[in-house]
Amino acid sequence: MAKTFRGGVHVEEHKNTERMRTVRMPAPHTVSIPLSQHIGAPVQPLVAVGDRVLRGQCIGDLAEGLCAPVHSSVSGTVKAIEMKPSARGIPVQHIVIENDGEDELCPSIAPKERSLAETAPEQIVKIVRDAGVAGMGGATFPTHAKIASAIGRVNTIIVNGAECEPYITANHRLMQEHPEAVVGGARVLMHALGLSKAILAVEDNKPSVIQIFKGLTWDMDDISVAALKTKYPQGDERQLIYALTGKELPVGKLPADVGCVIFNAETVSSIYRAFNTDQPVIERIVTVDGDCVRTPQNLSVPIGTSYRDVIEFCGGLVKTPRRLISGGPMMGAAQWDVDGVVTKGTSAILLFSEEQSYSYEHGSCIHCGRCVKGCPMHLMPNYIAAYARRRDYESAELYGAKGCVECGSCSYVCPAHVPIVQYVRVAKTALAAKQKE
Amino acid sequence: MDEQNLEIEYPERLVVASSPHIRHKDTTAYLMLQVILALTPALIFGIVLAFTVGWRYGLNALILTVVCMAGSVFFEWLYEKITRRPVTVRDLSALLTGMLLAMNLPITLHPFYALLGSAFAIIVAKQLFGGLGRNFVNPALAARIFLVISFVSAMSGDAYPMLDGTAGATPLVLIKTGQIAELSLMKMFVGVCPGTLGEVSAMLLLLGGLYLIFARVISWHIPVAYIGTVALITYIFPQTGGYFDLRFMAASILSGGLMLGAFFMATDYVTSPTAPRARLVYGVLCGLLTVFIRYFCGAPEGVSYSILICNLLVYYLDRFLRPRRFGQKRGKKA
Ligand code: SF4
Ligand code: SF4
Repeated sequence: MAKTFRGGVHVEEHKNTERMRTVRMPAPHTVSIPLSQHIGAPVQPLVAVGDRVLRGQCIGDLAEGLCAPVHSSVSGTVKAIEMKPSARGIPVQHIVIENDGEDELCPSIAPKERSLAETAPEQIVKIVRDAGVAGMGGATFPTHAKIASAIGRVNTIIVNGAECEPYITANHRLMQEHPEAVVGGARVLMHALGLSKAILAVEDNKPSVIQIFKGLTWDMDDISVAALKTKYPQGDERQLIYALTGKELPVGKLPADVGCVIFNAETVSSIYRAFNTDQPVIERIVTVDGDCVRTPQNLSVPIGTSYRDVIEFCGGLVKTPRRLISGGPMMGAAQWDVDGVVTKGTSAILLFSEEQSYSYEHGSCIHCGRCVKGCPMHLMPNYIAAYARRRDYESAELYGAKGCVECGSCSYVCPAHVPIVQYVRVAKTALAAKQKE
Repeated sequence: MDEQNLEIEYPERLVVASSPHIRHKDTTAYLMLQVILALTPALIFGIVLAFTVGWRYGLNALILTVVCMAGSVFFEWLYEKITRRPVTVRDLSALLTGMLLAMNLPITLHPFYALLGSAFAIIVAKQLFGGLGRNFVNPALAARIFLVISFVSAMSGDAYPMLDGTAGATPLVLIKTGQIAELSLMKMFVGVCPGTLGEVSAMLLLLGGLYLIFARVISWHIPVAYIGTVALITYIFPQTGGYFDLRFMAASILSGGLMLGAFFMATDYVTSPTAPRARLVYGVLCGLLTVFIRYFCGAPEGVSYSILICNLLVYYLDRFLRPRRFGQKRGKKA
């Protein structure tokens, strides 16, 4: 029996690219690398305009504070250091590098022949930090900090390969094509955390991956493979922990508080690569899909490549796009234009035309209860939205406003097309502001 | 293939909207349509049955149906035009209200009352409260009760003709007067006995209701709790005296529009709770009230009254029986 949680919705999957091999995209003419691709403080540039940089060279770091260093994804010349809006609309410094086509790799990136048993946990934290790994499922929390804070506090490592967002198959392809990197990364993490238990969690819409993992781990008692029921938002950390351990993680608490730590599958494979070769995160797998793209596919994209270059590589447009979403259609962020860039957290680029884009048109709630049934946090989104609309945030909280994880399930199922999540966000923001006072 | 090679320009600006960026295909109109479809067989059966009683009855039943449905849609349109609000007749909810109203009327009723009823349902019970989603009593039921109270003779007594054309007692009246032995359960189930236009065929209503549950248009909580409660009480404490009367129980759940009420009226989205536990309690309350009214008051509209009364409790049921939040300790309220 596949494991799961209570609530949630069945979303049309549109996993159109799940059978296509990941294609390596050649580095474009220029890349523009943001100095903040993670949660925490933006890093400072370590290079100046005119400098020559190598592929994999560290170009941004910070001596103190929570951050993940940034590396060049090409070899070439620094053309500019400029402010541009990030995928979430916040101004961030970008280092613009012109690719010289030499593809010259930084000499520090080479097979290291490290022995896991002889590597101290602190050293693993340092290796992961130097590789600039940040949560690649989209949360982009600096991974070394997560490892460091989990040491001694957790008993279960969960590798998140659920990938419950529609369209996205980037993790699916990674796990299928490089399962040894995921299992190997899990081993590195187990050693760093001193644990003898890791779970590889995959939704049961990826039976081939489950089979490969089972084959790879059949003789390991300490790494298990868990099949999860395909249901949105199965990949959310709370739902994942509940499905696997039966523990409910309250709002405002971290997974470590219930003894768990969760890493995205691609993050885990990046840790593996960093451990073996010191290779930093300079490319990532991105699902490119949507009805405007000529050839939807999974690409291994150099960090800092613009959406425009990615789309061109996929054969350009077949329809005029109305929306470009960075990430999945349920929680991803709609972008202003095609000039934004791929970062460590970009799991997908989706281009939807007018027909596929859909706006919520403020219909009247008919009280059907679908949002209540679908809310994975067991809130009552219909009442939260109704009270938020009337600016009665106290009452909105009675029905759970602060517990919302903004998964979008409620808006998705609403037959009256009430923009529920937007209302809930308004209530949340207002309540948080009040608490601060 | 020229068209394919045409360069498509990148737009200057894209639309920035809040997530989620996709939605489920079901719309309000689609759900209303499902309910209408599920009700149609029972309604057609009722009309055909009326024709077998006599062509005048049949014709009247047909006219009632048309008047109620067209009238409801018309009044909704009219009210929204006059008050300059967006016209919402396309969501089909007014059509459904009209259909439910028709099914709650005796086939002998003069169509003028039906028109009055639909005006009451749409304007007084629905629009004056703010339209779809804001009314707190079921418009069709409110209109039925309005007609019953205002026009007693037209709505009851010999308003229910028998198959031979004479006025007949509805099964509920027979039960009430202790003539339960005269009832044929099979006839009640199939529906060849007097009743309002839409309540006669328990079988077709049951099938329609089950369809709605399996199509996930309604949830099982309310009908199961409602019918279950009525069944349990009438089985253990039959009105015929003694205890444990299966025949009385069967007659009770097959009569008095319980099927229509439990599957189609009590589950009306707008006027029923949304939290699962609240739905169960709501169903049980409806059931208790229905039995109570049947046992202790003479009214054959027990189902209608019970649902209307419970409609008023919906807000409190949802509020006090809201689900336990994920991660919150059992028994503790936020
Ligand atoms: S209320 Fe929040 S947590 Fe619940 S379904 Fe909506 S977005 Fe998800
Ligand atoms: S899904 Fe939409 S219409 Fe249904 S109860 Fe929730 S907000 Fe209301």
